[in-house]
Amino acid sequence: MIILIIAATLRMAIPYILASTGGAYSVRAGITDLGCEGMMIGGAFFGVLGAYFSGSPWIGLLCGVVAGMVFAVLNGILHVTFKVNPAISGVCVNLLSTALAPLLVKLVWDNESMSPLVNGFTSFAGTWLEKIPVLGEILKTQNILFFLTLVIVLVAWAFLFKTKFGLRLRMVGEDPVAASTVGLNTIRYKYTGQLVCGALSGLAGVYLSLGQLSMYTEGMTAGRGYICMVINVIGGYNPLGAVWGGCFFAFFEALRTVIQNASINANFLMMIPYVMTLIAIVISARRVLPPAGMGKHHDD
Amino acid sequence: MNVIEMKNISKSFPGTKAVDAVDFRLEQGEILSLLGENGAGKTTLMKILYGMHSMDTGEIFFKGRPVEIKKPLDAINLGICMVHQHFMLVSAFTVADNIIAGDEPCKGIFVDKKKEYQVVKDLIEEFHFNIDPHAKVGKLSVGEQQRVEILKTLYRKAEVIILDEPTAVLTPKEVDDLFVVLKNLRASGKSIVIITHKLKETKAIADRVMVLRDGKLIRDDVDPAQASFTDLSDMMVGRHVDLGVVERAKSRGDVIFSVENLTLREKGHDVLDAINLKLHSGEILGIAGIEGNGQTQLLECITGLRQPQSMDLRLRGEPVKGGPSAFLRKGLAHIPEDRNAMGLVASMSISDNLILGYQDTPEYANHGFLRRKTILEQADTLRQEFQVKAPDSQTKVGALSGGNAQKVIIARALSKKPDVLIVAQPTRGVDVGASEYIRGRIRQLRDGGAAILLVSADLDEVMQLSDRIAVMYEGKLVYEVEADVLSDVELGMLMTGGSLADLKKGKEEGNG
Repeated sequence: MIILIIAATLRMAIPYILASTGGAYSVRAGITDLGCEGMMIGGAFFGVLGAYFSGSPWIGLLCGVVAGMVFAVLNGILHVTFKVNPAISGVCVNLLSTALAPLLVKLVWDNESMSPLVNGFTSFAGTWLEKIPVLGEILKTQNILFFLTLVIVLVAWAFLFKTKFGLRLRMVGEDPVAASTVGLNTIRYKYTGQLVCGALSGLAGVYLSLGQLSMYTEGMTAGRGYICMVINVIGGYNPLGAVWGGCFFAFFEALRTVIQNASINANFLMMIPYVMTLIAIVISARRVLPPAGMGKHHDD
Repeated sequence: MNVIEMKNISKSFPGTKAVDAVDFRLEQGEILSLLGENGAGKTTLMKILYGMHSMDTGEIFFKGRPVEIKKPLDAINLGICMVHQHFMLVSAFTVADNIIAGDEPCKGIFVDKKKEYQVVKDLIEEFHFNIDPHAKVGKLSVGEQQRVEILKTLYRKAEVIILDEPTAVLTPKEVDDLFVVLKNLRASGKSIVIITHKLKETKAIADRVMVLRDGKLIRDDVDPAQASFTDLSDMMVGRHVDLGVVERAKSRGDVIFSVENLTLREKGHDVLDAINLKLHSGEILGIAGIEGNGQTQLLECITGLRQPQSMDLRLRGEPVKGGPSAFLRKGLAHIPEDRNAMGLVASMSISDNLILGYQDTPEYANHGFLRRKTILEQADTLRQEFQVKAPDSQTKVGALSGGNAQKVIIARALSKKPDVLIVAQPTRGVDVGASEYIRGRIRQLRDGGAAILLVSADLDEVMQLSDRIAVMYEGKLVYEVEADVLSDVELGMLMTGGSLADLKKGKEEGNG
């Protein structure tokens, strides 16, 4: 039972961790990560589309990541280049993505809400990994994206906090005017933050579609992109914080699926992650501050 | 030798010619004071040199050879650095991170933390700055933050350092410290420009003075030792202004406004701690203090904008309760500290701004409808009476200069003939001429019998205007004294939490 919950938690945490890490890059560069949801939908849909036409989940992954980046660039063009309020540009991305996916589902597969099954990423069940005692029980339900996520988180963290690039990106997010006075091209850093956000949110979407169901169904992101905003608040806009924040929410989600007990009202169980969101935000929103330069431009 | 020469520089912004065919030169190893009113074009000229603004026409020469400076990085690479009026520091970063960001010592793609802190530590020791490189900048005092800014320029091997209004936010002691630093820098061969409108400092530190007015060069060869305050001010303003007029209260009346036991708690600690103050009619009580010691909260509490944990506020013995509009109705006028955020609505006209806060009084409103005609007529009268320079009363306040915008607020508050005026930073960002005018109007109101509470971060202003001075430090009124008793240094000591005894001790040690 406990192993079941741990396995489910890790599985559900991956999209949260990926998108929150992306979101952290966006926020650290000074742009709210509201668009994560849309980028995630884009990743989920275009991942399946790519896999459908190519037959390869890896090509699908590439399509999903690129789709997330395209939506991110759109957000960048609106907010960074044309200085649209970031909340509005984020909502635009989300609305566009929410509308585009069903339209294409209809056009490509002539279906109201879902794609056919495609080649997704297969789990480690049946491989040597399953044979590892205890750990194998957990690993058998994971797939290659699990390890990819671990690598991405570590690299993203090191890049953000240990490299010159990361220092500069964070400076742009904290105070774009100050950053520009020491000669930084703030626009470039903001776009970079967006691109990383788009790529990782897209990958999170790919995990949901190709990594779990091997298909796209409408509404499969179920607001996870918004929960990632909360994860970033409690995780302090840090990829490592995203890991435990992601696991925190995933745990409640896992609990919901594992305890399919008739004695507890299903609606009540469904509620838990969202109630936890509220509680988490109340506890940490005043404690963890976003970068001081959120939504600001170097020439304000 | 001239390190920098700028020839025939012009720059227009929509509607104004900010810099008009100005020639500028900076000699090796001098401290140049670039003197002028707000809006005279000093900062714009220097931002052109620093690559933050492009110029419409003109040429720049660095050590005799023509250079193109299109962005700050170009200037930094030449060794020209600028310390901005609003510090360009990231509060959440450490001192060292702030200094190196943009030009980091690296090991591969990683920042070389060891080298970073070593280099910064060496730099701090070389200039005896006494700052912890690991400290978060947000936790430093303003004076220390300024030193971090100067370190940033030194780290970049600056030869030319431009400081924009460097003393605006410093205490007198910090100003003295800064001047020592600047003299050391000059001694080590750096060339320094200070952009300022303060005459006292210009005389104290500059080797040469250059005066700008309305974007034009007036003089660039003034010797501060030869020129008097009045000479400099006349050059700067373009006409004669009586500076620093001091007229103390002639007849102080009874206490008409009193605040007792004002305590405000914010995030677990007392931001205002048992404040007591009394205002007599016909006097100005000045609050001296470094910004952030509770002045803002004090103002908010005694104007009804905020509900403190405890406060007994009385006007002529009657308690005043309720929100800001109740306070205004009782005759407590307020000139807020931040005119753009609290005082005015930039996108509204002068006439509309003149009735803000009073818009629902019968004078201006008839059963919920505004009396347009009365409002406009009154606006025209006030605009003339208070010398607000604007084409008409329908002009948007956002289009006015700082001084004229401030006059709109002054007019609104004073025209209601208040018994008590609470006024904060009355001349912040206001030019010399308008400042003296505004101070004159405040004195006039006092002489008419009103009680005035003045809060200003500008100690000179507090000392010039007040009949009585109270010093605020960490949410307490720590000292109260009649005007003209204490010197600026003594007040500065109290403002930073010291005592007068400390000062005496320090002097004796210095002498011994």
